[in-house]
Amino acid sequence: MNRRTFLTASLASASFVRAVPSWAALTGESTSLLYASAFTKDNQHSFGLFNEQGNILWSTNLPARAHGPVLHPVEAIVGIVARRPGFYIDFYDIHQQTLVKRIEPTPEHHFYGHAIFTSDGQKLITQENHYPTGQGKVFIRAWPSGEVLQSFHSNGIGPHESVLLNEQTLVIANGGLKTHPDHDRDILNLDTMAPNATYLSLEDGAVRQQANFTQDLHQLSIRHLDVNPKGIVALGFQYQGEPWESVPLVGVSNINSSTIEPLELPENIRMRFKQYCGSVRFDKSGEVLAISTPRGGLVAYWHVASKKFLGIDNCTDVCGIAATENSHEFFLTSGNGKQLLCNPVTNTALVVKKHAGYHWDNHLNLIANQRT
Amino acid sequence: MNLSMKKLALTLGAYLPFFVTAADWQQPLNSITDKVIVQGYQAYANSADKLRQDVTALCGQASEAALELAQQDFKANVLDWQEVQWLNFGPVTYFMRYYAFQYWPDKKGVTQRQLRVLSQNPETMEAPKFWNSASIAVRGLTAIESLLFHPDFSPMTSTDHCHLLEKVSLHHYESAKAVSTEWSNTQPQSWVYSEEGESFDANQVAFEQYLQQWIEHMSAVKDSKLETPIGYNSHGNLKLAEFYRSDMSLKTIQKNLQTYREIYHTGSPSLYDLALESQPEIAEQLEEQLKNNVTIALQLPENFFHEGRSKEQRIELARPLVSSISQSQSALISLVTQLGFQIGFNSRDGD
Repeated sequence: MNRRTFLTASLASASFVRAVPSWAALTGESTSLLYASAFTKDNQHSFGLFNEQGNILWSTNLPARAHGPVLHPVEAIVGIVARRPGFYIDFYDIHQQTLVKRIEPTPEHHFYGHAIFTSDGQKLITQENHYPTGQGKVFIRAWPSGEVLQSFHSNGIGPHESVLLNEQTLVIANGGLKTHPDHDRDILNLDTMAPNATYLSLEDGAVRQQANFTQDLHQLSIRHLDVNPKGIVALGFQYQGEPWESVPLVGVSNINSSTIEPLELPENIRMRFKQYCGSVRFDKSGEVLAISTPRGGLVAYWHVASKKFLGIDNCTDVCGIAATENSHEFFLTSGNGKQLLCNPVTNTALVVKKHAGYHWDNHLNLIANQRT
Repeated sequence: MNLSMKKLALTLGAYLPFFVTAADWQQPLNSITDKVIVQGYQAYANSADKLRQDVTALCGQASEAALELAQQDFKANVLDWQEVQWLNFGPVTYFMRYYAFQYWPDKKGVTQRQLRVLSQNPETMEAPKFWNSASIAVRGLTAIESLLFHPDFSPMTSTDHCHLLEKVSLHHYESAKAVSTEWSNTQPQSWVYSEEGESFDANQVAFEQYLQQWIEHMSAVKDSKLETPIGYNSHGNLKLAEFYRSDMSLKTIQKNLQTYREIYHTGSPSLYDLALESQPEIAEQLEEQLKNNVTIALQLPENFFHEGRSKEQRIELARPLVSSISQSQSALISLVTQLGFQIGFNSRDGD
């Protein structure tokens, strides 16, 4: 069960006992989808929601640049996590259009830019850096109080993004980069970094599996990931070694294996990635994987079961990817304000809108709407 | 125009960025391509050819004079590379050519190690397509510099070393020649990837890439070539300075900064001309900074990167140039943005 599947499932089951998110007040329609993304315009960092026509329906200014949105599965709450080193997560009630909660890290910790809710929406999971030691941490907080219920070692350095494999297991992309807020974003352990993908028990923090690279690829930072309904975890890498070295940039993992399997990527396309993957997203069906590279100005696609490379869509400065409600279809956003709708199976790409002066930030999430 | 219309126009002029049409950028784009890039690569290929020929002569009849000539050729070739180094775009992106040409601050001695292995096994270089898959450590200017200037290698006395130098120099020349030829037969517009959307214009996108690369290169000159080796912000290591073995570290910076003025002024109209029409204040500010960069860089002592002065003394000497290049960066970014170009948001600063 992937994030979107359980989101839909949990919303369906939760509707019997709780109020479903009421996005209709914002969209004015019962069927329209909403997308959430941070953006920057005129040097002001903001967070906003737009519909599938690309129209911005709501936005708010932020105290500092943000990174990844976080969606509550049951309530009409959407959050945005500050960019690394992040010191806030702001949550908004979209129905009321108000800030309802700001969560800050505990002392000597900062966020990495991503967070997720458990499927019942009662707990918030964040990845954090205990920066005096550089140790990666996972914090579990009660929602909406923000009270810390548990904290676990992420079993690596630099836990950037995580996804839920199931209700009990969190998959963490431990990027391997040791940083300290006093040294901006400088990498302090380039020679010793050891990224991994850790499958962590949310019950007791035990490691259920850990997938690593061989030593020659120890500078391959695992940063972003997604999981499909079959439990296949897709991983996007950012290589910290030399720009001319030919290294895998995309891989897949599963809980039964400690190895990461690289996905095929033609060399002429791999070179265009410039050693950098941005967002990682499965489509609604979980059959197609999309990975963006803003440095290469493209999104690449794979058919996951066959591991076949499907092709690319060119888009300057693209990074945000969200699966739409249609199989094989993705909504993309770019740093130059573009919004696109792409389907690598039907080989179609459509510019939805271009917002002059807007810079859509790294990550984009779909908010599943409910009829009210 | 009545007063209210004039007022409206002035008001709009004050608040709206001036967008030169995409067609206007074709002139500076094509001129920079012809004068700076195509001619630059022709000069680079020619000096690589002279280096290759003189290395062959050295290996045929070794002498101090022949070695010195090859070393001078190498330095000339390094300077020609500085003219085109700012643009990692087009034919140079094939087969890792850019990184092979580029200086590689080899902290772990990989270049020397791989060159030693190759000199002991010269037959491996005869394998078909050897150079296509060879490590960049043995392919370009960094390798040639090691063979000509590193004490581990002696092309004067070692036939194996000289043979290796010949092979690397020949490959280097062939790469430079290939890029030069390919640039002569292609247009920058054909090196950009088309995108969906009505606003796509190959001239605009290609020129945007040139400008992005220029900004990135300016940053690299300040950070990697100047600040990092002298320890401007942390520990210094003079061996990180570009082509320090051949004493070219300062000259390469000076050449880069001179090239920036060419980029700005080449064409009729040039980027400077077009910028002056719409953004006169920033256009002039950039012009002054680019001039200052060259003046200040040329005033640095020739032995600036040599041992023999303290880190603090070196930093004090570098401070005006660091400041000037910083201001150039700001002015260039501001100008480019005001002219309506996107300089990269996620691509320049992701996570």
